[in-house]
Amino acid sequence: MFTGGKSFVSSPPAFSNDAKRLLVCTGNTVSIFSTSTGLQTGELEGHGAKVTSVIVVPASTPASKVLCYCWTSSLDGNIKYWDFAAPELMKTIDIRFPIHSMVIPSLLSQTTESSGKIHDVFAYVSTEDVKLKADKTISVRGQIQKCNLTKSRLVGGLELAKIERPGSIIISPSGNQIGVYEKCKLLIWEIPAKDLDQHCFKKIRLHHTKSFTAMAFHPTERILAAGDVTGRILVWRGVGRKTFSNGKLINGGLNEDEDDSPGVRSGDDADSCTTWHWHSSQVNVLFFSSDGAYLYSGGREGVLVVWQLDTGKKKFLPRIGSPLLYYINSPDPTLSSISCTDNRIQLLRMPSMEIVRSISGIKLPSSRAEMYDAYGSGVVFNHTAGLIAVPTENYRVQFYSLFDDREVSEVQICERNHHPSDDITVKVNLVALSQDGSTMSTVETRLPEEGIGGLVSLKFWACDSQSKQFSLSTIIYEPHREAAISSIAFRPASHMVVSSSHGGDFKVWVRRQEIHPKDQNTGWTCHAVGSYKKKPLTAPITTLSFVGKSSYLVSASRGADPLLTMWSMSKLCTIWSYRLHAEAIASSMLNSTFAVLAPSKLLKSTGSTAGTSQGAEGAILLFNAENPVPFATWSVSKAQGGRLSFIQSSPFSDNDVADTTTAGELLAYVSGCHEYVVLSPHGDQDSKLSISRRRNSSSLDETERFGYASIYGELPEFTMEIDQTPFESMPQSEKTWKTIFSGPSHSLPPLPKLCSDFLESLLERRSTVVE
Amino acid sequence: MAESFPVKPKLKPTASKNTLSPESKYWKSFKVLKEIDAVSKSSVFAITSLSFSPVAPHDLAATQCTNVIRFPGKTLIPKSKIASFPDTSASASFRCDGQLLAAGDLRGGVHVFEAKPTSLSKLKDLRRLKGHAAAARLVRYPRASDKFHLFSGGDDSVVKYWDIAEEKCLFSLFGHKDYVRCGDASPVSDEMFVSGSYDHKIKLWDVRVSSVGSVMELNHEKPVESVIYLPSGGLIATAGGNFVKIWDVIGGGRLLYSMESHNKTVTALCMGKVVRGNGDDAEQNRILSVSLDGYMKVFDYSKFKITHSMKFPEPLMSVAFSPDCSTRVIGTAKGTMYIGRRKAKVGTEKNSLGDQFGFGAVVDEPQRKVLRPSHFRYFHRGQNQKPLEGDYLIKRQKKVKLAVYDKLLNKFRHKEALVAALNGKNPSNVVAVMEELVARKKLLKCVSNLDGVELGLLMGFLQKCSTMPRYAGLLTKLAKKVVEMRADDIRSSVEQRNHIRNLKRDVEEELRVQQSLLEVQGIISPMLRIAGKR
Repeated sequence: MFTGGKSFVSSPPAFSNDAKRLLVCTGNTVSIFSTSTGLQTGELEGHGAKVTSVIVVPASTPASKVLCYCWTSSLDGNIKYWDFAAPELMKTIDIRFPIHSMVIPSLLSQTTESSGKIHDVFAYVSTEDVKLKADKTISVRGQIQKCNLTKSRLVGGLELAKIERPGSIIISPSGNQIGVYEKCKLLIWEIPAKDLDQHCFKKIRLHHTKSFTAMAFHPTERILAAGDVTGRILVWRGVGRKTFSNGKLINGGLNEDEDDSPGVRSGDDADSCTTWHWHSSQVNVLFFSSDGAYLYSGGREGVLVVWQLDTGKKKFLPRIGSPLLYYINSPDPTLSSISCTDNRIQLLRMPSMEIVRSISGIKLPSSRAEMYDAYGSGVVFNHTAGLIAVPTENYRVQFYSLFDDREVSEVQICERNHHPSDDITVKVNLVALSQDGSTMSTVETRLPEEGIGGLVSLKFWACDSQSKQFSLSTIIYEPHREAAISSIAFRPASHMVVSSSHGGDFKVWVRRQEIHPKDQNTGWTCHAVGSYKKKPLTAPITTLSFVGKSSYLVSASRGADPLLTMWSMSKLCTIWSYRLHAEAIASSMLNSTFAVLAPSKLLKSTGSTAGTSQGAEGAILLFNAENPVPFATWSVSKAQGGRLSFIQSSPFSDNDVADTTTAGELLAYVSGCHEYVVLSPHGDQDSKLSISRRRNSSSLDETERFGYASIYGELPEFTMEIDQTPFESMPQSEKTWKTIFSGPSHSLPPLPKLCSDFLESLLERRSTVVE
Repeated sequence: MAESFPVKPKLKPTASKNTLSPESKYWKSFKVLKEIDAVSKSSVFAITSLSFSPVAPHDLAATQCTNVIRFPGKTLIPKSKIASFPDTSASASFRCDGQLLAAGDLRGGVHVFEAKPTSLSKLKDLRRLKGHAAAARLVRYPRASDKFHLFSGGDDSVVKYWDIAEEKCLFSLFGHKDYVRCGDASPVSDEMFVSGSYDHKIKLWDVRVSSVGSVMELNHEKPVESVIYLPSGGLIATAGGNFVKIWDVIGGGRLLYSMESHNKTVTALCMGKVVRGNGDDAEQNRILSVSLDGYMKVFDYSKFKITHSMKFPEPLMSVAFSPDCSTRVIGTAKGTMYIGRRKAKVGTEKNSLGDQFGFGAVVDEPQRKVLRPSHFRYFHRGQNQKPLEGDYLIKRQKKVKLAVYDKLLNKFRHKEALVAALNGKNPSNVVAVMEELVARKKLLKCVSNLDGVELGLLMGFLQKCSTMPRYAGLLTKLAKKVVEMRADDIRSSVEQRNHIRNLKRDVEEELRVQQSLLEVQGIISPMLRIAGKR
């Protein structure tokens, strides 16, 4: 049994110190991806619940860039300390509260310290009070707490704030301020450079009329930016001058003028507040560039906007294709990453803002899919290759390998520009794959505007055998006049498709070469039309499936009177039935077993668990066709919208599968939020070994050439006696000459900085030689 | 990063037989020359026969009304009528050297005259052969080398063999029982010829054994309208009724094939050639047949297959194909001549030019100027350079071409985009933009924002296109909505009222069409049901 399909974008990722690896929170684990190849190289396993934050210990000196330590926090109440190069767990701190967010300010300010004395390391965590959770009456459940990581305990009696909902804590790049946003106010604390257990914090609040959705601290000055639900960005300058000034004045501040603080609400401690409004809906991303000259913002539109802080001029990176969630920059100033809601992390080359690589997980279900539940279909399985096809929000179908836990390919179904913030008006409803995976058929629906201009189109796609890419073969507009298509199905082992409509007829489509073998045209054509008493082919029966090679048919109906029925085709009668709501049915190809996914809300029919439809628990029941008693059950989460299928265990003829006779088929379950589990349906412990996921541990051997070699290529090797000692693989400078000069000239770093960087890298090299 | 997609209209189904076979391409390459068409249209009498001279430049003779008209082979501009008869002329035939021309008239006379008349001999017969009691509709010179004889056939059902020099009928051949309307001389022998008659019979004659009567008799089973020898001399093709038959004469008069693809009487046959490239079978023979149904069909008798067919708007009477394969002429019952001519190969034309002038023209190579930075071409130099074998090619990224409405849609300026598409005059693009607006739920908002002129534009478009079946699904509903939404604006303007009136008229017309289609369907569906039961 193995799992996969985790969300990569539940929490912000983190770059390693050499910017060659990206640490991504994926469910209960932290996955490590290579930024040069975009492939997974490792995984940190150990947490028992969702990992909520990962913090890489920054390198204080250039020599320590090879160090790979990180802190992680999780909803299971643990904070763990890892060496992620190995990967190896080094320390665990249990604070017994679910941690939603964690920041460690001292890690950022450590670099300035000169003395070798080690202070205690403190973390600030946003936790949820589980004791209060059961009590519905108390709405304030979140709290900000301080934790001494060196001594592995919470700092007692110190609670910075209570907030309604545990949110994320934002830390300033210099590590001296942390903040949270809650509804219409921002809370900001100042963290002293030498943090102690008991320390009184100075706190200020800033207010606004709308709910905040993002905030960011300026790296050097007292500037704070925050975005709200309407898309406005507020920039406060001189935040907390009165409260936080401990005698020493911050240079470069605005002229002190007590009366004149434009735009700032009364009572807030700030010099001025300006508002920028470009985003049409809520702002999710705010981030200051490392030199503080630019502000990055992004939101639902899927456009990254770069604001010049002094002038307010904008530059855009459009068509990212999905709402943005997080923006992270790396220690290498030429690399940064954006996390998008479609479970994709884009790596950007920085001053020029090109997307160089993207790390994509399984596409998450559309957040508004339930509105069109009558139309939508979930994921579709390819039985033989172990692939699933996931229709996505931007009119694509993603093919995802269950065994590799990796995206295989993507097909654009409908050539239309996607605007993430629009309503859904065009949707890929149905996807069907032929058994050999060579043909795909899709149905897309354009919803009409007040009865005008609705369109259903049926498309057939052929897979190129070499490149494994699907290309469009045939489009049929309005295949059933104006009626919507209720389902499509491939005939096994033949190029034939049946589509049934709400309009009362069904059509059989065949490839033209089947009828006229000499015809060069490979398109699809309608072969026959039929109907049954002119009734719409949308009975309450939602699922029909033949059980393997036996003569049984299983049907499931929904609605007020759900029923799961087993029919014998030879006797044309019901054998047994349950009053059971079946979300999905999968039947084995080899024997007469089938699996049913039943959400437990309807299974128990207690009626008490209302309003938790998305996260509904459920059960997978495994039946034999003759026997109404299930011989195996598993309980699963998020059963609503889940899908089941049997897949072949060895799609690519693995030689490590020893006993193919028993473990020929595996059961794959994809939950409502597109996480999946693949398990052996017969539950033998010995077969567990045979179905381990294929892991491809690609190493980080793709090195980038730098300095002289990047311009003129490698020098020929010298064979001198002195150079007998082999070169050690040294940490490479993140600044390469190739990338230093890319981008507009105004965003280039100053020449003295460049020069020192270059010289530094050369000197470093020299020193390793001497060793 | 997702790429940007321009708004595209829906795909149209393409006919699978869209691609022309090379043979069809060849026959379509005979382009009608305009000036000839215009001149020949002035008369209304049927073109009864067409004939090409066997020697270059292959002059064309046509019989029409009482005249024989000569078309010089180079230009095909009707220069002169070269003969005028007392009655309707028929069946012009060139002598094998192309010097003389013979034709019959409906009074029974056969006229022989010069094919290229000088001013002196104009409109004067050299010989007049009298002997037929009724219209002489068949006059043919032998095709091989005999210059002194010809044969003729008449409505008196007699075939006569003439000595031209002495204006004397050598012998009459009896045997036909009805009008003799067609015949042909053998291409390989001067003594053999064939005649076809309305008594359904085709008779082969040999002048060497004239006393025996016909050498062979074939039964076409319909009045024979046209007979030709195929180039080998061993096969003949006969036309009559609405079919063409191919006979093997050497094999004892065996019927090889009957081509029955015309719908009306086949009036004339001739030999055609398909020239394709250079090679062994560069030239292939075809039979061209024309019929009263207006079709010209090209028949490949080696494969017994129709390779091309062409529709003309009038009943066709006669057809001829020039021996150099450059010209195809069809005469109709209404006097129009369709002269199709292929463009000659450029290379051959140049050769002939050089021959004419007798010396090879020396063309100076223009001096290559050295480009200097003062000239703008200096900065473009080398851009047309073809890549060498080992060169590493860097492809320039293809730019997505965006139309005006695409750019406006990208800027979310929906109404401007709709107006830009409406100005574009391509209805499928307009509908595509409308569909995109529907997908953004902005179409009705756009409609309500249109000002007077733009609304007129939209109304004009709706009037024009809303009854087209391809767009009707969207546009009829939209038209209804527009009329509902903008009723006040429409009422207040005269122009809009005009649009509405036109729209109403079109919709009523469409309703009538639909009604009559339903009626047709009502008639057909029981028949189909019966046919399906069988």
